[in-house]
Amino acid sequence: MADTNDIQEGFLCPICHKDLRSPSNLIAHFQDLHSEEQDVLKSLRSIYGKAKKKILKLDDDDLQNFKELTKEKYCLEPSDPQESGPSYSHTNYFKDVRRERLDHRTTETNKLIIRLDRLLRTFGADRKQQEQELVIWLDGTSVTRCPSCAASFNIARRQHHCRLCGSIMCNSCSYFLPYNVAQTIVAPVNSVNDREYSGKDSDTFRICNHCLNMLESRRKVQIDQMSKPTIWHLYNLLQSNIKQIQSSVSLYDRMYNSLTSGETTFLLQDVQALRSSIAEKAQMIDTLSKKIASEPVDCETPKAVLLQNNIRKATSNYIKESLLTLPAPPSVEELESIRHKFAMSFKDDDFMEPTRKAKIQTITVTTGWSPAPANEINDGIENPLVEQMRIVRNYIDQARKAQRFEEVASLEENFRMLRETYRQQQREQSNY
Amino acid sequence: MNVIGAVKAYVEKITDETEPGMKVLLMDKETTSIISMVYSQSEIQQKEVFLLERIDSPNYANSTGLRYLKCLALLRPTQQNVELLCTELRNPKYGAYYIYFTNIIAKADIKLLAEHDEQEVVKEVCEVYMDYLAVNPHLFSIGIPYCLERLSWNQNALQRTVQGLVSLLLSIKKSPIIRFQSNSKLAKELGSRIEDVMNKESSLFSFGPLGHSLLLILDRRDDPITPLLNQWTYQAMVHELLTINNNRVNLSNIPGVSKELLEVVLSAEQDAFYAKNVFMNYGEIGQNIKQLMDQFQAKAKSHQKIESISDMKNFVESYPQFKKLSGNVTKHVTIVGELSSMVNKYQLLDVSEVEQEISSQNDHSTHLSEVKKLIQNEKIRHSDAVKLVMLYALRYQSHTSNETYNLIELLKKRAVPDPLLKNIIYLLEYAGSHARQSNLFDVEDAVKITKRFFKGLSGVDNVYTQHKPLLHDTLEDIVKGRFKDNLYPVVNNHSSGLRAQDVVVFIIGGATYEESLTVHSLNKNYANFNILLGGTTIHNSKSFLEEIENAFKGEDMRLRKHTRHLRNIRFD
Repeated sequence: MADTNDIQEGFLCPICHKDLRSPSNLIAHFQDLHSEEQDVLKSLRSIYGKAKKKILKLDDDDLQNFKELTKEKYCLEPSDPQESGPSYSHTNYFKDVRRERLDHRTTETNKLIIRLDRLLRTFGADRKQQEQELVIWLDGTSVTRCPSCAASFNIARRQHHCRLCGSIMCNSCSYFLPYNVAQTIVAPVNSVNDREYSGKDSDTFRICNHCLNMLESRRKVQIDQMSKPTIWHLYNLLQSNIKQIQSSVSLYDRMYNSLTSGETTFLLQDVQALRSSIAEKAQMIDTLSKKIASEPVDCETPKAVLLQNNIRKATSNYIKESLLTLPAPPSVEELESIRHKFAMSFKDDDFMEPTRKAKIQTITVTTGWSPAPANEINDGIENPLVEQMRIVRNYIDQARKAQRFEEVASLEENFRMLRETYRQQQREQSNY
Repeated sequence: MNVIGAVKAYVEKITDETEPGMKVLLMDKETTSIISMVYSQSEIQQKEVFLLERIDSPNYANSTGLRYLKCLALLRPTQQNVELLCTELRNPKYGAYYIYFTNIIAKADIKLLAEHDEQEVVKEVCEVYMDYLAVNPHLFSIGIPYCLERLSWNQNALQRTVQGLVSLLLSIKKSPIIRFQSNSKLAKELGSRIEDVMNKESSLFSFGPLGHSLLLILDRRDDPITPLLNQWTYQAMVHELLTINNNRVNLSNIPGVSKELLEVVLSAEQDAFYAKNVFMNYGEIGQNIKQLMDQFQAKAKSHQKIESISDMKNFVESYPQFKKLSGNVTKHVTIVGELSSMVNKYQLLDVSEVEQEISSQNDHSTHLSEVKKLIQNEKIRHSDAVKLVMLYALRYQSHTSNETYNLIELLKKRAVPDPLLKNIIYLLEYAGSHARQSNLFDVEDAVKITKRFFKGLSGVDNVYTQHKPLLHDTLEDIVKGRFKDNLYPVVNNHSSGLRAQDVVVFIIGGATYEESLTVHSLNKNYANFNILLGGTTIHNSKSFLEEIENAFKGEDMRLRKHTRHLRNIRFD
């Protein structure tokens, strides 16, 4: 080889320095071409033997890992939900700063509104004087320039005063608040009849930029608080329906699992009823979301179109992915075979009833639903147990109508027990 | 330690905390990427978020608002965002605001915001730490394509990287010991900046005693080989040949591609086929895609004949899954089809075999002749020819009969464009032997020899996947407790402490998907260890060379130190 300085690696033949890539090739090569050097071959073999042993001993771990590396196929598992990391809230600090500022601003605004209210009541020839009594006008003798546009005052550009705060400005920096607008601003504060105020509708107040801003931003907030568009109401309706469906779906899952694992807590017909009621609700939210999507929008808010379409899309996704995928309840025959299997495996447990009784007898009213008392038709002769049974029957019917299937289940259990006791009583009576 | 889970948990928290009602999510450019890495639009819609807005888009300020919406603002704590938010609050477009910053924000900025909230629309202001891109459960990126400026940190990139790593550590609740590659000034600077923040914000970083976790900062310069190689596992291959950008792949260059496939999303969280095949090699994906197609055809067939009502019902019930499946099938078939046509067209198998041999074997004359042969092959791309010369030049930099000069002459004969040739110089100046502290090529310790030996015996090794990144050895040293203090000192000379089992590795200058697979396999093989990999970005060979070229902007390359002998590439 030309580059003898270089260190070569691989399975090199010790005689001709050819790289043979694998030990078996090397040994074969050696046997074929260099058969005269048999002792070298021997030593080569023993080196491999030794190396193998040594490596096996020393690097068992590495070897093991290597085997795994070639065998194992790697893939990514979806991430499980986990607890979120720390967060740091600035809300309190933010609100403190804001309060400090806004308290000041609110009192200012309120002051302006009270003044405005009073100004609206001024009339007559000495109106200007009355105005000056209400709001002290700034002394203009030392003011040579308009504070907002810095133009100097002269005969052509005269000083004017803001009627609300008394500050000075030029004519072009003045704003004019019409009487009728002023009245609507004051109205919520003082619900006085319009007639009490004087002046014509065309009259205005001269006010400064600063005061106008204060009044405007207050008015905006008030308007925004009042207006809730149709879509807002529709969406709330949609959400409350989805919430109901959500709880129905989780109830359905429970009932379905209980049914398919052979328990008799729930009745098949109830499961079916619940499923069809979920389907009905799904229909309803579908229509609602369509209605939201077709709600007319202001052409000024292209966003609303997107919003409404997205609500529709999200709802139909929800229906497709969470509701249409609900498993269908088993058929009567399937249920029979499940129950049969279940009965076979749990035959012995049938006599363990007492523990179950104790559990079920307590009707949970945590969900806030309770049946109305049955119409008591007391003919006095009936056995109190029979009457009890009738009342419970009635409850069951009500609960079923309200789709309270868990209550139905526990009431049914009660009913069964009552019947059992009743029969026992009858037997005892006939025995006597 | 799962970064996707960590970001998801924060989003979950944000959407749960706000009152119910229609919501709009207000983001900036970077938080849009952060969210889109972990959530699809339809997923986020199920959390009542129906509109997505960008606060930094030019039309946003003039657009009209909808006062009946609640606004979730998820923003980076930048100067620009604070200013934009102040304007927004003065004239609020929405009825209520819940503001979340993705990192630590200064009190002064909060005060400024509070002063602008005159209509009292803000309900919540909070820091959540998700200032990084979660790519895979064990892989994250800061999303900085160029982090270097004249071979030092670009100051903005450094600042962003510090923020990204600080938020990462907070989100996974770790306050680690920091170690850095000793020959890298970049790594040292980054390490001490992070430690400064950790000291300053010690109340945030109070996750139990120090020393149970480790942040290891590495420099791409120590291993320039890995990003240069052609890749054969799915994710890495797609990135190398088609480029993955924030989980998105642009397919618009493929002739005749349908409209909905112009840009496709590859997310292991939402795409089961992708999750299963991310680390499979080219051959296995081919098989799996065939299976997927068969499965799809069987389903499609059963859907074709809808005769009875129950057929109809079955169809409707399985339709969502069917549609999802069909979307996935067309997507992956298109991608794999394009990959395979590129492999054939550019003879990438031949190229890759030589690349792999140069990177993991030592045989100068054979390699030289193989490289020469490929350079003369008209079918291979210029860029592949240049990369082969780069690998050769790095591998045999100190070899007495180094022929880089002649190889460059051959490249010139093939009319390789000048900028590509210049990349050879940039690369050698960036990461030649003078810049590396590890022996990239001559690490011939007993373990390695043993491995090669057994690979040969069992014959399972694939010629296209012989190369193991340097990171593999580095991490194995950590796992085995052989980590060297002099090569990887602790920031500010603290003691190296306990043997950490939670390790975050960060590579300045970008990580690669090949290294991601290495980390993933180590995590699987050493159950006690939990390793995360991150980088300023995730490179393929193209973006890697672009970053290096950019790093030399402003340098006078005529004064280059280590490649003067390559006079046939001129910078004037």
